[in-house]
Amino acid sequence: MMMFGYLLASGITTGALYALVALGITVVYKATRSVNFAHGDLFMIGGFIAYTFHVMWGLPYVVALLLAVAAGFAIGAVVERLAFRPLRDQGLVSLLLAAIGLSFILKGTARAVWGGKGDFIPFPPIATPSPISVGGILVVPQQLIVLAGAIAVMAIFAGLFKFTKLGRMMQATADNAKAAKLVGIPVNRVYVYTMAIGTAIAGSAAVLMAPITLLYPDIGFVLFIKSFAAAVLGGLTSIPGAVAGGFLIGLIEAMSGGYISTQVQDVSSYIVIMLVLVFMPQGLFGGRALRRV
Amino acid sequence: MLTVRKSLVAIGALLAGATLALAGARAEDVPGVTKDEIRIGSFGSLTGPTYLYGKLTMNGVDAVFAKVNEQGGINGRKLVLVREDDRCDPATAIAAVKKLVFEEKVFMIIGGGCSNATLGARPEIVKDQIPFLVFASVADGISDPVAPNIYTTMTTSSIESRSQVQYAIDKGAKKIAVVSQHDAWGQSRYEPLMAELKKRNITPVVDLEMTVDDNDATTQALKITSAGADAIIMELYAKPGAVLIRALNKLGQNPMLIAQTGIADPVAFTKEVAIPGATDKFVTPSAVRYAPSDPEVKEWVERIKKMFPNDELSVFNLMGIGSAQVLVAALKAAGPDLTREKLLQAFAHIKVDTDTYAGTIICNDPVSHQCNQSPAWMKAAGEKAEVVGVTKLN
Repeated sequence: MMMFGYLLASGITTGALYALVALGITVVYKATRSVNFAHGDLFMIGGFIAYTFHVMWGLPYVVALLLAVAAGFAIGAVVERLAFRPLRDQGLVSLLLAAIGLSFILKGTARAVWGGKGDFIPFPPIATPSPISVGGILVVPQQLIVLAGAIAVMAIFAGLFKFTKLGRMMQATADNAKAAKLVGIPVNRVYVYTMAIGTAIAGSAAVLMAPITLLYPDIGFVLFIKSFAAAVLGGLTSIPGAVAGGFLIGLIEAMSGGYISTQVQDVSSYIVIMLVLVFMPQGLFGGRALRRV
Repeated sequence: MLTVRKSLVAIGALLAGATLALAGARAEDVPGVTKDEIRIGSFGSLTGPTYLYGKLTMNGVDAVFAKVNEQGGINGRKLVLVREDDRCDPATAIAAVKKLVFEEKVFMIIGGGCSNATLGARPEIVKDQIPFLVFASVADGISDPVAPNIYTTMTTSSIESRSQVQYAIDKGAKKIAVVSQHDAWGQSRYEPLMAELKKRNITPVVDLEMTVDDNDATTQALKITSAGADAIIMELYAKPGAVLIRALNKLGQNPMLIAQTGIADPVAFTKEVAIPGATDKFVTPSAVRYAPSDPEVKEWVERIKKMFPNDELSVFNLMGIGSAQVLVAALKAAGPDLTREKLLQAFAHIKVDTDTYAGTIICNDPVSHQCNQSPAWMKAAGEKAEVVGVTKLN
């Protein structure tokens, strides 16, 4: 029972982080109909920026988190304006190639700026190690902080998406960009905000994840694949689906590693992608997009 | 009589002349050997992130050669090191060996940094029958099965694995957990480790896998915790190793951690884990028994600093020093009429203590050409690595 409780808590915590990255992937995909393959690398840059503020400059963790989110927002906006917008009308292949190119540029930048300190960079833990009991389940305080942070970010994003003018413009643009343009929505500006918000969420995920793992320039790809699996599981166009997919992937990984074998743990997310694509191509929450008139 | 005596003197003089001429001709015939010098080749990584396995180890070799040369060389011959870069790549390593053998015409080769590159070059070395002394590569396949012309002074991966088990037992471990990578590098350690455990009738309480890409090891840490393991044998690179230790720390666990040379520097690794106390029980084996900061190797360190002021100091320098001292001992034992066969005969049953290796280097031809079976155990002590013991398998 104790093992199950630990695995559950661990799966939910890791899943919350996958959910955050999957959220960014889905938001950008909904708006642009293109998967941003550099999303994991934008996540990685967010982590390194937080490392700079927190470890190198000694700023408090929360301040580093806020600054990394702000930096992620700015980087996302710049990336959309410089890398994606000029190719917006050139077709999906051009956008995919731009994303892959951006991925290499971001990794190279990380190596140039933060490299030379070994294979990876550690981020100090943000809480003491002793586990505490929450509702009969033993939870590691650090996991609790990460989970609370991830839920807070999701709540802020949900509020922004549902209750603000920008959120409604993002929904309208995602639903039908041409129609949105016709009714006077500044679609290009919405794309910039979408990319910026997606990257800011990725940045927040990186800062939350950094204390429980290590930072290195290639971390983005692994996280991207697992979060992409979560987004696919959720239906790729569904924001609640991305969140649910993230939690599910986290739980599947933890439980398969705990009860089947640690050899299965790492491949379980890839197996999920394959099974979903074969048997449920629309994902758990996907479906034909409704066109509101 | 006078005629006969004159004739005998003449014949004697002729024979002596012929013998000298033949001896001279033989020295000239042996590749890389003249009356003044012995050209010795080396290949390994000189550039890129793996340069420390090659370049820094070669710096150690050159330091020994410089000292020998200052003292007049070996039988009047100066030692000259010819370096080739294999860039840690098997194809480049093969080209490097060919260049050393056929263009540079070296007498023998001391080298081998990255294991995969050296493994790639092994068939060429065997074919060319050039004596080869491995100074840094750890893969067993380089020296096992035994090739008549290949010896190693590095503790190989299987020796490390067997030593890990011995260390755990020596330290009183009752419940041993195994966490390993199952890639080619990990398997080369995992298989001899499991064989050694089986030989000693030990069943690990858990046998877990990690990959180099794992960012979280909570599941592994949970399983180790619930199994009550008091020692973990880690066949892991530094990154997954650090991820595992951070996950164990998250659960308040601090068992004995026994690594291998994939995590070569305990001080750097402690900094990489970055959690005070989490690596207090972490040890890793080393072919050498000192760190460059130790006073016992001060003379060598100063020599290297003087010769290579722009290169950092590393245990790989010390590995090069130890290996080169074994080579020098073999060259001396081979005598003044140096041939490759005589050098190999000298290697076959050499028994020599060096300034840096943890134990005596003993080659046991034809049973084993893996001559260093005594790894030292290092742990971090502040900014320095300290030796906490030596495991002797031979």
